[in-house]
Amino acid sequence: MNRQLIAELIRLRYKLMWARTRSRNGKIALFMAGYLLLVLLMALMGAGGLGAGIAAVRQGKAEQVAQIVLGGLYVEAIIVPLMLGFGMNAVFSDFELRRYPLSGLDRRLARHSIGLLDPFWFLFLVMELGLVVGLYALGGGFFWLGLAGVLLLTVSNYLMARVAGLAIDRLVRKKAGTSILLAVVLLLAFVPGLAAPALHKHPEAAAAVLQVLAYTPPFGAAAMATHGGMAAAGGLLVIVCWTIGLVAALVALEKRPPALQAVQKGGIRWETRYERLASLFGPHNAPLVAYWMRFCLRNSRFRTLYLLALPLGAFLTFQLGVRGRGGIGLFAAALGTFPWVTFLGTSRIAVNQYGYTGGAFRRFFLLPSDPAASLRAGSYVSVFFGALLLPVGAALWCIFAPRPFDIRRLIMLLGMGFAGLFALHAAGLWATVFGPRKGNYNASFGNDMSAMGNVVVIGGVLIFMLLPVALKELAPAGLDPQNWWWPLGAALAALGAYRFSLRAVSAVFSGRRERLMAIVEGRQS
Amino acid sequence: MNPQADAVRVSRLVKKYGNTIAVENLSLTVRAGTMFGFLGPNGSGKSTTIGCLTGLLDPTAGQVEILGSRFTSESADLKRRMGVMPETLGLFDPLYAHEFLAFVGRMFGLEEATVRRRVTELLEALELTDSGKTLGEYSTGMRKRVAFAAAVIHAPEVLFLDEPFESIDPAGVALMKQWLRRFTEQGRTVFITSHVLETVERLCHEVAIITKPGKLVWQGDITVLGQEGAIEFDDKRFTALEPLFLHLTGERYADLNWL
Repeated sequence: MNRQLIAELIRLRYKLMWARTRSRNGKIALFMAGYLLLVLLMALMGAGGLGAGIAAVRQGKAEQVAQIVLGGLYVEAIIVPLMLGFGMNAVFSDFELRRYPLSGLDRRLARHSIGLLDPFWFLFLVMELGLVVGLYALGGGFFWLGLAGVLLLTVSNYLMARVAGLAIDRLVRKKAGTSILLAVVLLLAFVPGLAAPALHKHPEAAAAVLQVLAYTPPFGAAAMATHGGMAAAGGLLVIVCWTIGLVAALVALEKRPPALQAVQKGGIRWETRYERLASLFGPHNAPLVAYWMRFCLRNSRFRTLYLLALPLGAFLTFQLGVRGRGGIGLFAAALGTFPWVTFLGTSRIAVNQYGYTGGAFRRFFLLPSDPAASLRAGSYVSVFFGALLLPVGAALWCIFAPRPFDIRRLIMLLGMGFAGLFALHAAGLWATVFGPRKGNYNASFGNDMSAMGNVVVIGGVLIFMLLPVALKELAPAGLDPQNWWWPLGAALAALGAYRFSLRAVSAVFSGRRERLMAIVEGRQS
Repeated sequence: MNPQADAVRVSRLVKKYGNTIAVENLSLTVRAGTMFGFLGPNGSGKSTTIGCLTGLLDPTAGQVEILGSRFTSESADLKRRMGVMPETLGLFDPLYAHEFLAFVGRMFGLEEATVRRRVTELLEALELTDSGKTLGEYSTGMRKRVAFAAAVIHAPEVLFLDEPFESIDPAGVALMKQWLRRFTEQGRTVFITSHVLETVERLCHEVAIITKPGKLVWQGDITVLGQEGAIEFDDKRFTALEPLFLHLTGERYADLNWL
């Protein structure tokens, strides 16, 4: 193993990160990121893991609480990288590393060491560490064993996220893959919620489920953190076995990349369904709209996120609405999820339309049309795809809504859906022009949005998720169906903001093109 | 089109990036119906100049006229009469070649039937028959062919080609040269940059040579070279383009004893 070269590559990754801070904007971003990270770490250590640890010991259920906390974090640390791309950035591809004198094993180790050293995994490690410290401080656990447990858990968590990512990537490339993925996600989203009451009724079944869960990494780590002796050794064995299994799965998936499409020689097959759909946007926009439709639908990340958006929205609606003591009600929760569901699937491209085009960006300025027409056409496509989810969401609401069914609630949900759709796409237009970033069109995972793009996507989701909570506390009348009209007003206001943004951003687009060109072609960051 | 008129006229063109000058007071004219070679060493400002002539970049100062009309990045009508093969090719990687060429044809206002006919003919002529591959999966040479096809699909009156022949196999280059010759015979104009001086010498009627930062050092007729004549400059006789180019841009020799 070439440790020296691997260490050099890891250093290079951090040098590249540091290089980005050379500009004034980079320095501001570094300061903000450092400050936020510090605050977040303190909050996570304190309120997150440490608080849970203390509560666990006080209740006399140290191992149970540790299992729940570590299990929850483990699942979140798989979902967040898959949905938002955090923690999946290996920086260098295997292809790029082949130019250095590194063996296959060295290249794999270098890539995954860099991936595992992403700050994202440190955040989860800190939360888990907080639990261990909390348990140890109150005499409910073993520090060194717990530390070893959460370190191994983080490694297995990273490997699990990677394996899941590769498996999904492979799945969505197949014809029936997207349908299978949708079915799996729906199953994962709804089965726990539906199974919970059944398990509550049948404790023997719940005990059997717990017995199976005991052989999972978070439960293994919980055993290490709360027990000594054979129980801790058993926990260690569970995590080590999982880690070995996941490494084997990862190597197997990476060694057999997805097969490329067979090359067909012969005549051209003119496919016009995109052109037919695009003609709805008028003859002037049609060619550009058809292009952006192909651009989106041929992108595996777009397809994955688009398919996952609705099941994730349904899952969160259910979780926030009816589960636990803090449930805010199914309708209130849906009022918070409808607005961003229409945006999440298209978000990557909506906030960074040209980031994945590379040198092709120049083409838009060579065409005999207003260059900003391409910007508008891209946004129309994104809004169009987002809006297509609303009827599906409405149908799901009609099926699962609490009875008696109130049509005014459906109107409110659709109103909020359109409000989110237009407001977030308006913000996406600004991010596209003022916060672009070069991304990799072919990468299925990894967060390659700019800081502004992240603020729009993550900030937008959080704001809409918190809106019903705030309404419930501050203006409960806003959730009353008698006031069904206000979401429609919000939708109209958002439409106004979107139209204004289209015009305003179009006006500055040409003037910004040289900077955009330099960024999307990778000459500037 | 009047073959005596100027197809391209550049007056005191300046392009600055902050304090860095990329093009300095460049003035040149290109007669309609000629094959014009625009030469210079790496980083001398050739692509920046083409960027300003095609609407990719805004000049800091100066004026550009194309086909007798003032040209800016907003001149959609003039762009319809121009074809451009940019340095970065500007291909949409997720599309198939026929989809991309059809997109360009439609954007340039061609009828659907014409689009399909021309796309089919271009793909067959340029041997781009791997219809199952997207442009992102094409080799560099194939990508160049597609970019060339996109530049000519609407039969423009002025054609700007930035390094068109590099990475293309000899058969492809021969075909492209044949098309370009016919293009100029019909009174159309070709503005070409290339580092392959032999090709430029055989193909072009006139040449402009620039040095850093975008300064014109020589412009003239080179057809005499093809007739075993010579170009006289600085009291020297040049019987080929390469020695003239090296004389104007400066020969360099560095001896690295470990190499």
